[in-house]
Amino acid sequence: MNAAAARDRAIITGYRGPKVRIMEVCGTHTHEIFRLGIRSLLPEAVELISGPGCPVCVTPVSYIDEALYLAEKCHATICTFGDLVRVPGTAGTLAEARSRGARVQVVYTPLDAVTYATEHPEEETVFLSVGFETTTPTACLALRHAEAQHTANFSLLTANKTMPAAYTAMASHTDAYLYPGHVCAITGTSLPESLTREGISGVVAGFTAGELLRALATILEKVQADRPFFANCYPRVVRPEGNPAAQALVAAYMEPCDAEWRGLGVLKESGLQLREAFAARDARKRFALPAMTGRANPACRCGAILQGLARPVDCPLYGKACTPDHPVGACMVSREGACSAYYLYGGL
Amino acid sequence: MCVGLPAKVVRIQDGMALVDASGARREVSAELLSDIDTGDYVMVHAGVAIAKITEDNEDEEVPE
Amino acid sequence: MTAEFPDDARVTLAHGAGGRQTAALIARVFARHFQNPDFTADDAAILPVGNFATGRTAFTTDGFIVSPWQFPGGNIGKLSICGTVNDLACMGAVPRYLSCAFQIEEGFPLRDLDAIAAAMAETAKAAGVRIVAGDTKVAGRGQVDGVFITTTGLGELLPDAEPSGSRAEAGDAIIVTGDVGRHGAAILVARRDFAIDAAITSDCAPLAATVRALFAAVPDKSAIHTIRDATRGGVGTVLHEIAAESHVGIELDAPAIPVAPEVRGVCGLLGLEPLYLACEGRLVLFAPQAIAPKLVETLRALPDSRQAAIIGHVTPDFSGRVVLRTEIGTKTLLPEPSGELLPRIC
Repeated sequence: MNAAAARDRAIITGYRGPKVRIMEVCGTHTHEIFRLGIRSLLPEAVELISGPGCPVCVTPVSYIDEALYLAEKCHATICTFGDLVRVPGTAGTLAEARSRGARVQVVYTPLDAVTYATEHPEEETVFLSVGFETTTPTACLALRHAEAQHTANFSLLTANKTMPAAYTAMASHTDAYLYPGHVCAITGTSLPESLTREGISGVVAGFTAGELLRALATILEKVQADRPFFANCYPRVVRPEGNPAAQALVAAYMEPCDAEWRGLGVLKESGLQLREAFAARDARKRFALPAMTGRANPACRCGAILQGLARPVDCPLYGKACTPDHPVGACMVSREGACSAYYLYGGL
Repeated sequence: MCVGLPAKVVRIQDGMALVDASGARREVSAELLSDIDTGDYVMVHAGVAIAKITEDNEDEEVPE
Repeated sequence: MTAEFPDDARVTLAHGAGGRQTAALIARVFARHFQNPDFTADDAAILPVGNFATGRTAFTTDGFIVSPWQFPGGNIGKLSICGTVNDLACMGAVPRYLSCAFQIEEGFPLRDLDAIAAAMAETAKAAGVRIVAGDTKVAGRGQVDGVFITTTGLGELLPDAEPSGSRAEAGDAIIVTGDVGRHGAAILVARRDFAIDAAITSDCAPLAATVRALFAAVPDKSAIHTIRDATRGGVGTVLHEIAAESHVGIELDAPAIPVAPEVRGVCGLLGLEPLYLACEGRLVLFAPQAIAPKLVETLRALPDSRQAAIIGHVTPDFSGRVVLRTEIGTKTLLPEPSGELLPRIC
């Protein structure tokens, strides 16, 4: 631990101010905070809430049902990030579909899904395009590659989401946000800066121990002034203007739409869908998918947990019917989900 | 999901960059960054370089 | 030695039919490499185990289905010897005899099979163990992925050695014999699934001599409480097993755990934890802190354990769990591994 980290650690452990609720809205933050044991440093007055920042966790059940339909009814090859393979839909997971013979490929990047499609021209290849502002450009880039290479058998099943609506929707549950560093690397900082005018505070945080300690210490220092604040605590990666090329790429391929968030319901203009010009690349249209109304386990409290209204241990399924080996809710599936993180790292 | 990995650019060609993270190398897309050079550090997410890393006073410890 | 077979010579179903071709395959590949006084042409080998000094025998078996069959640092043949030899060694036994059973996919190149048998012979020699019996089956195309090998081994117990997963005690130091996660990372790179390049060599090695040296280094053999080889599931899985079997807590000093930079890089790219990647030449030892420095010194003088290190200790607290002391001085649980990490790695 370097001197700066030690200083920030002392600021955090020595905090004696009023009660503060800090919400992290990035699943990778949730995971790293647990992995580094940072919660054990927090004094009683500081509460850290794991918000809806894991794209797997907020993806509705119906989305998995659509993917299962594509794999089993349309016999498409599904390319996906590994996290989604074990998320339960209404009737099972993609991993279970794979064991029944469906083609499900885990890829490191959407670009590899295009490569797969190019190498398997006889297979309809669908990439499961989930994620926030950080990840959406990588899917759009994949689409651009597919267009340039005339890879006709490649399409996207989109469930991309944007953070601004969630920031506003969750504002009453928190005193300050730990803004997601890599989302801000794409979007820039103008939005969180402007949110201070609506009374919403927060700091942009990086992901190393030193960066997370710096961000938390900054919140605890600034919160005492009792005035909305913003700070960029991840300047080595996040510029005020973000990544203009990535923003332009996404704008060229996608447009805002209303989107369902597991637990939060439908938030206006909180999602992205492919523009009409790319309808042939939109798996929903390409395969004329029927509308699906996914059914989650009614006892699952992922929704309340994602809003910071309940803790994982408050859910009747947590640790009993729902464990990382047999997840019921999405928050238990992903390593970045609040329930999974509590289950794996909590209880010390 | 928003995991990023700092990596050093070894070579750039046709919009793709060969990057090195502690000796692990992979081709990633460099199409979203206009001003990167061999020797620069970039933040890699899902096979795409999404940001140039300016000063690197943090250690290279990587979130998984 | 690969000059024995032309490029296009393949294993056929006839090689597994028990007739003339089977006899020829055994003679030209297996008997040629494995030859030793106890190698049997009969239905079973007759072994002089009555001569074992302590009158006690360790006995174990293990199957190997690694893909690809060869990788930097070894191949499935070497792996199949190391796995069983190391399992015996971890019980405080000197490996003496092995049998091996092959399931070979029709069409597998004879030259490659020869290379596998050569690696087995060489590794067995290094480990001081004799291959005395075997079996060959050939399966139709697609029924086996290349070649699967099962080895079974007999070992002679060292006097007074009684290591066991249930003997870890509060106050024990925990030693790992080298950097962790190499084999899993090497296989991952060799598979090319994720198009990552890294100069990582598998740690695959027979550790019989290493274990003998450890017992020779301490006057009270029973003071070495636990030895386990960290194969599938890696060091992290072994630690969880021992915490549960011994009803103790384990506290690790995260910065003290040796990990090669390249392994760390691969893990960073793919979001993996090095502690859960397989090793094939690494032991985890539990012994009282008083003798731990002597054991580490002994290990560091040996070729396959130069990076041996004390990575933590056993505590009476938080029984059954593994706790990491992090780089910022906090404590966090090492989560139990769950789900598929990587297919077919050992």
